[in-house]
Amino acid sequence: MILKYELKKVFSKKMNRIVLIAALLAAVALSVFAIGSVRYVGEDGVGHTGLTASRNLAADRNRWAGELTGDKIAQVVSSGKEIRIQYPDDVPNEIYGKTIQSYNDIENFVIGVLTPDTVWDTSVLYQLEDEQAKNLYSIYEKNLQEMAGKYGKTPEQQRFLTEQYEKTDLPLTYEAKDSWDTIMMYVETYGMILAIVIGFLAAGIFAEEFRSRADAVYFSSRYGRTNAAKNKVMAGLLMTTIVYWAGMGILSLVSLGVMGISGFSTPYQIDQPYSIYAMTYGQYYLLAVLCGYIASLLAASVTMLIAAKMRSANVAVCVPFFLFCVMPFIGRALSAFLTFFKLTPDMLLNVIECAKNPNIFQIGNYVFRQIPCIMLLYFVISIILLPFVYRSYHRYGLKK
Amino acid sequence: MELELKNVSKEFSGVHAVNHVSFSMKKGVYGLLGVNGAGKTTLMRMLCTLIRPTGGEILWNGKNILGLGADYRNILGYLPQDFGYYPDLSIYDYMMYIASIKGIRQGAARKRTKQLLGRVGLAKYEKRKMKTLSGGMARRVGIAQAMLNNPQILVLDEPTAGLDPNERIRFRNLISELSEDRLVLLSTHIVSDVEFIANQIMLMKNGRFFYAGTTEDLVSSMEESVWHCTVPKQSVNDFVGKYLVDNVKTVPGGAELRILSKVPPTKQAVREDATLEDAFLLYFGEKAGDKDDTEI
Repeated sequence: MILKYELKKVFSKKMNRIVLIAALLAAVALSVFAIGSVRYVGEDGVGHTGLTASRNLAADRNRWAGELTGDKIAQVVSSGKEIRIQYPDDVPNEIYGKTIQSYNDIENFVIGVLTPDTVWDTSVLYQLEDEQAKNLYSIYEKNLQEMAGKYGKTPEQQRFLTEQYEKTDLPLTYEAKDSWDTIMMYVETYGMILAIVIGFLAAGIFAEEFRSRADAVYFSSRYGRTNAAKNKVMAGLLMTTIVYWAGMGILSLVSLGVMGISGFSTPYQIDQPYSIYAMTYGQYYLLAVLCGYIASLLAASVTMLIAAKMRSANVAVCVPFFLFCVMPFIGRALSAFLTFFKLTPDMLLNVIECAKNPNIFQIGNYVFRQIPCIMLLYFVISIILLPFVYRSYHRYGLKK
Repeated sequence: MELELKNVSKEFSGVHAVNHVSFSMKKGVYGLLGVNGAGKTTLMRMLCTLIRPTGGEILWNGKNILGLGADYRNILGYLPQDFGYYPDLSIYDYMMYIASIKGIRQGAARKRTKQLLGRVGLAKYEKRKMKTLSGGMARRVGIAQAMLNNPQILVLDEPTAGLDPNERIRFRNLISELSEDRLVLLSTHIVSDVEFIANQIMLMKNGRFFYAGTTEDLVSSMEESVWHCTVPKQSVNDFVGKYLVDNVKTVPGGAELRILSKVPPTKQAVREDATLEDAFLLYFGEKAGDKDDTEI
């Protein structure tokens, strides 16, 4: 019963309701932006955006769906070369809509494979012989080995990277993945909004007694220092879970409902051939959403602790903003501490960058990647802080 | 049932808010009288385990209340001086929340809430948000929440502060009704709040109890008598300077004074029965008085 009323306290507050409505509107607005950001060019050369653009684009690109064999790659490269010879300055929209658009992802994969760790150079496509294109996976595998040697500073790291690269099944399987690609950016932005909103709501759970001067009745009641404090912590976690998954659920349902879910099983390596995360686009999306949840948990735990300690929400509500919005700028300014800033909480909301870069760390013989490290680290911190939140309420006013 | 203060002190930055207080309370209504800043609220907060005494201990049936923890708070009801609540909850939800943190099961809490809201005259307002209540209504919710767990110890800190005279009378009667079979400790600086309902009066000044006893004992212990006399208007100030003047009432041709003095202030002065208010004036001197009470 305590938990029920604790949640009721959170959700009945006028300011909290306003904030939640704003978060809901943000989910809808971001979904609209996501849907509107996909552009499909029809066979007539006319560009389309809107409700059907994403599905049309997926249908067009899925002409190439299936195992991305060497022959298929060679066919794409050959077609692309022919068109670019025919139109050296600029490919007309009609031609793009009829042909290039459908295999654009595959072309990009080829360029990505052939330009490891260097500047993106489209000209490599035209220099590629038919036979080389057919054997692209051999080049890819050779490059992967080289990358393992280049990115790995120690034998352990090199071994670790080789193991990670070996997890990618070749040949890749292709399916249009634009909806996942598009939603990722909005998932991160919305994750940041939710972390700040959740921090705001969570701070109130432990500051409300002091703000409304209800502390005397609360702490003089039977369970004020024990079960009720535990239930406040529980309410914080439950509120975080409800608000985060409801918000993210709305964004995902609206966006993916309109754009479709084609590409859930497409390997992420189609876009980032040398990523050390062997995963599909669906897993990539789930990873970003899960990282966002951990960021929200962290925001809730930290703000609850600060609010309980300071007996006010004023400072606490600013902390998530600092952690997730200000920290990246500090990281960029203090480039000398690059390694440290690769492990700061804002990285939880920057999975797109983290997945692209081969950031690995080593302690002794143990090598680990950036994303699992920050996920585990901040999840553990979020949980470890909770007993301190409880303790500061449990001992309120009674310190010797 | 015994609540015992043993040499209890509370010090804030070198200032003794409560200074070595020892006292024992059993069933009944105890009125704690003192001017603002006497240490009443600090003492009550210690009794409600909100703050820890700097020295001494508070025992409930021989056991330290801080050691008893939740068991002690289970038999405690508290209405603080500065009664705060959750403004966006309805009265009913507020009561149910407090019931939940008092460990009352949902079914019993519902029943008790309805019963208490009826008793404090708020049953028909149960859906109203707390923030829309008047000061008097909020105080009534305050007393209702304090009674939710049917406490053996009911601590009421300045329960009538800010209430109009009608509400104050109503509140006093309510406390009197609720005082059966429990220990009620009521702190106030308004004499009339406790004059008729308290079995025992404690006078507190500078963090210490300097008198404890019944109203009758307190009044009879006064060496001064109460005198009523009429004096010319121009000499009122002389009397105020020379005597403890309880009341001044302007009448045609002069002013009626109520004076505390060992000797008659004038030849025509008539002796009157002393009241608790007179004792309060005597012991708290110039500082005494809430104009509401002392001058009406």
